[in-house]
Amino acid sequence: MNALLMNALRTFLLLMVAHVLVGCAAEATDACRGQLGGTLDGAMADAESRLAHGCEYEFDRYFGELLTIAEANPDRRNAQHFSEFLLRQAATGAISRRTAEGLYNRYFNIKFVSLQGDYNTCSQTCPVRARVLSAMQTELKDKELGLLRVSSDTASFYRADHLYNEAELVLEATCRACEAGRR
Amino acid sequence: MSTRKGSMLLALVLVAVAVTSLGPAPATASSGPVVRLFPTNVLEDIRATTAVAEAMENSLQDIIRRMDMQQQLYKESLCEGADGDQGCERIARQIGATYLQMLDVMSERLPQMEASVASTRDSLERRLRDELGLRTTPTSLQDSLVGQSPTIAAESQPALRGRSGVRLSDRFKQYQELVTTGRNGQSQSLAVVASDIYLDMADASLLIAATRQEIARTALMEQLNQSFGAITPEMAKVVSGVKQILFGEVVGDGPIAAPPNAIGEPDYVSPLAM
Repeated sequence: MNALLMNALRTFLLLMVAHVLVGCAAEATDACRGQLGGTLDGAMADAESRLAHGCEYEFDRYFGELLTIAEANPDRRNAQHFSEFLLRQAATGAISRRTAEGLYNRYFNIKFVSLQGDYNTCSQTCPVRARVLSAMQTELKDKELGLLRVSSDTASFYRADHLYNEAELVLEATCRACEAGRR
Repeated sequence: MSTRKGSMLLALVLVAVAVTSLGPAPATASSGPVVRLFPTNVLEDIRATTAVAEAMENSLQDIIRRMDMQQQLYKESLCEGADGDQGCERIARQIGATYLQMLDVMSERLPQMEASVASTRDSLERRLRDELGLRTTPTSLQDSLVGQSPTIAAESQPALRGRSGVRLSDRFKQYQELVTTGRNGQSQSLAVVASDIYLDMADASLLIAATRQEIARTALMEQLNQSFGAITPEMAKVVSGVKQILFGEVVGDGPIAAPPNAIGEPDYVSPLAM
């Protein structure tokens, strides 16, 4: 009889613990879900706080929302704010250093992340030239957001646009020359 | 029909030759393998093509001028639509004869032009393949295009292949100057210049070859037209194309507006930057 009572008590306690744990998890999920708002500084602080409390899986959404907030308040210093935010996230381990670099350069640098590689151009880029250029085109749109609309850095955006045109021309010529060499 | 096709092709080759009158996009100075894009033999090829272009211009200039005068006379005499007028038919035949003379000169000069263009194209092709294709990574290629100065775009024009408006031989002289200043390390991306010239030469080679195949047939058809004294729109188009090359008549839009100059605080450099 006592053993039966003890079993029932143990089950009850386990259920209670499980209930508390599930409740906490749901609460944490709710805390992750909310939209960021206010000033860019405030939104970044909010995002950092959430990322530090188990919301890492929402990083991409937070980053996108931060860009939207910054777009509404363009400022040349915004690139620096984003750089520092990304560096802090890389330091805390919410994202990797490589991801931080990729995001910063994609939105705030003239150079294209899509045009990278350690092998020669003939073998690495030419076979997938159309895909590379398409990726660069998409990246140029992100640079338009980061450089032009978020940072009001018109000169840098035009330089990126110009670089895209130059790369397109040079790749067309180079890849045609590579192809001619194989014939 | 074949007259129209031939004339169109001829117009195309003239435009293709004029294609060399585009504005290659200057970029910043680059170093390393790009410098070897223009060894002496490539420069010699470009110089030779300049000379051939000059000779072609000189031999066509008088003919074009004469044809201009004849066309003016035809217009002023209200010959358009005046069927059966003997005087008008005589002027039309004279225009046709001058046109045939132009075709003769073209067919005589084109082989030399073709050889010269092909030689430039081939030597540039080898350099592009070796230097940019095989000895450069996409990363270093991009680095060489970006160069050192972030404000260079404010002073440069965008890459605009296919833009005409400059005399052919002048265009080649511009190429020579671009290459020379680039070799001296002054703010031009030789990769862009080399690519631009190479693609132009490749296009021009194809069109010259096609035109040479068609030109004899065109001339024959024009000789037949002579008996009817007709001035075809194709003839006018070809003459207009030749004039663009010879006299550098500017067509097309100006360059896209340059971005505003950056003022105020210096650019921020992120530790995350590539």
